[in-house]
Amino acid sequence: MPLLEIKDLEKQSEDAILFPAFSLEVAVGQSVAICSSTNVRSVMLNMLMGKSAISSGEISVNQEKLSLYKAAYHSQIGISFLDDGMYERLSVYDHFKFYKRIYDSNHCIDDLMHFVQLESKRHKTVKTLSYSEKRRIQMARLIFQNPLVFVFEEPDQNVDIETKRIFLKLVRDLQKGSKGVLILTGNMESAITLADQVYRLDENGLHAIEVKAEEIGQEAESFYEKQLPDQEQIQPIKFGKIPTKVNEKMVLFDPLEIDYIESLAGQSNIHIGGEPFQGLFTLTELEARLQPYGFFRCHRSYIVNLQKVREVITWTRNSYSLVLEDKAKSEIPLSKTKMAELKDMLGLK
Amino acid sequence: MTFSLKRVVAIFEKDIKDLSKNMFVLTSMLMPLPLAILFGSVSKEPSIQMHYLVINMAFALVAAFVQCALIAEEKEKNTLRGLMLSPASTFEILSGKSLLSIVLTVITIVISALLTGYHPANFFIVALAIFISIFFYIALGTLLGLLTKSIMEASVITLPVMLLFGLGSFLQALTAEYPQLSFVEYLPNIQLELLATEVQNGVGITDVWSQLAVIAVWVVSACILVVVTYKKRAIDE
Repeated sequence: MPLLEIKDLEKQSEDAILFPAFSLEVAVGQSVAICSSTNVRSVMLNMLMGKSAISSGEISVNQEKLSLYKAAYHSQIGISFLDDGMYERLSVYDHFKFYKRIYDSNHCIDDLMHFVQLESKRHKTVKTLSYSEKRRIQMARLIFQNPLVFVFEEPDQNVDIETKRIFLKLVRDLQKGSKGVLILTGNMESAITLADQVYRLDENGLHAIEVKAEEIGQEAESFYEKQLPDQEQIQPIKFGKIPTKVNEKMVLFDPLEIDYIESLAGQSNIHIGGEPFQGLFTLTELEARLQPYGFFRCHRSYIVNLQKVREVITWTRNSYSLVLEDKAKSEIPLSKTKMAELKDMLGLK
Repeated sequence: MTFSLKRVVAIFEKDIKDLSKNMFVLTSMLMPLPLAILFGSVSKEPSIQMHYLVINMAFALVAAFVQCALIAEEKEKNTLRGLMLSPASTFEILSGKSLLSIVLTVITIVISALLTGYHPANFFIVALAIFISIFFYIALGTLLGLLTKSIMEASVITLPVMLLFGLGSFLQALTAEYPQLSFVEYLPNIQLELLATEVQNGVGITDVWSQLAVIAVWVVSACILVVVTYKKRAIDE
């Protein structure tokens, strides 16, 4: 039985289709991420909140339909907004006490404060906290509410590593506690790191992005890998520039300039100096061409320039990220199977 | 959903803490007190008008303005949405928020009455009338708070209210010259003052029921407006 059920939901704004009808289920212990543009996200949130009327389709939480019985629906769903407000003059402890009472929760304030790592800030007013610390209070608010379905809007946008780590732990704990988690984000990297099941939602509909399938897909790819290096050897002069398309022009880049390459809706996006360029080859083709230059396929949808990697972060035993040394300090997901490969390359056991 | 006193008290306590650190609202709240001291020291036997100038000022500045600022701030900081989505019902949220303003208004009025030396002839009737009036000003403050988006806007919008209700007794003087202004006689503050004058002249509750009724009508209509606005704003805000 799914906890959150979205059935044939669609949205048209004036003449344009924002997203066509789609259905989605979040089962017990599942975390699902929807990666979308900002307007699609805000429309989705307004619908989940019951603020904007749903023209066609139905949202239900634990069989309670939003359109029929709002109060029961709202008691089962908890939403953490990106712009959630707080009482700036009150201390962290006052907030925790207030949330505990308003949601009639039996969570222990001290345990939760420890969980979100705010013990040292206990009597500080919220105004003096950093943005990441404020986001952690909002996480605690949702834990106090303790609904069946947790919805997070951009949970790791602009937050520090510690907050991201706490959030990941929260998601895993919620999954173990048979809750459902829905993450709405615009960032594919965070969607892949945070959720088991990732979808992309746009005007073409809802598309699943395979995260789990990478182990199966790998074998097929390694077949190509064996063949391609042979071809390279035939060419007497190696021309290594990578072509990209900018409007009607073709721009050639030196492989060493490239930070990383991301696969987006079937196309490769080559990130150079913080800007994405549309590549002319598929990810597998690029991987074969770039391997001699020290590039590494760290994820089904990512190739990274290993020279630019600064940090390898271990979120949990099974999820990792690479942090690059470019200006934006981009984070790139590193899948579990590729981690072993990377360790081999680095000469670690 | 059942009414939970626990949630109301939670909102009430949070607001006390929050308000105690809010200098802007706090200072405007204390305004009636210097005025009361001034009137109390200037004349040995201040007239009913003077007592009620201070009391009406307390109504406008404490009940209406504080309530309006509390609600407007919740909206400005995006915290009202969180409350609306929480299990607390509309009634619990509004009563939790109003409780603080009611307590503050009662305290301010008692202190100013002591300072100006106001001794009503019939304490029970006057207290009842004042208590009913408080609800009107609270509802008015809530309404204005729901209509505004920030504290700054709230302090601007409450100004005309303060003038109309705080200094209404001066308007009464104009009615002789401009008969079209005679409706001001039915304003709750003027009715309260009339009632107090009658009480001071020694009449019982049976003679002032008409004033009480007029004030009650104001209270009821303001409450209806608040509920309608809240429902409307809750959807499209």
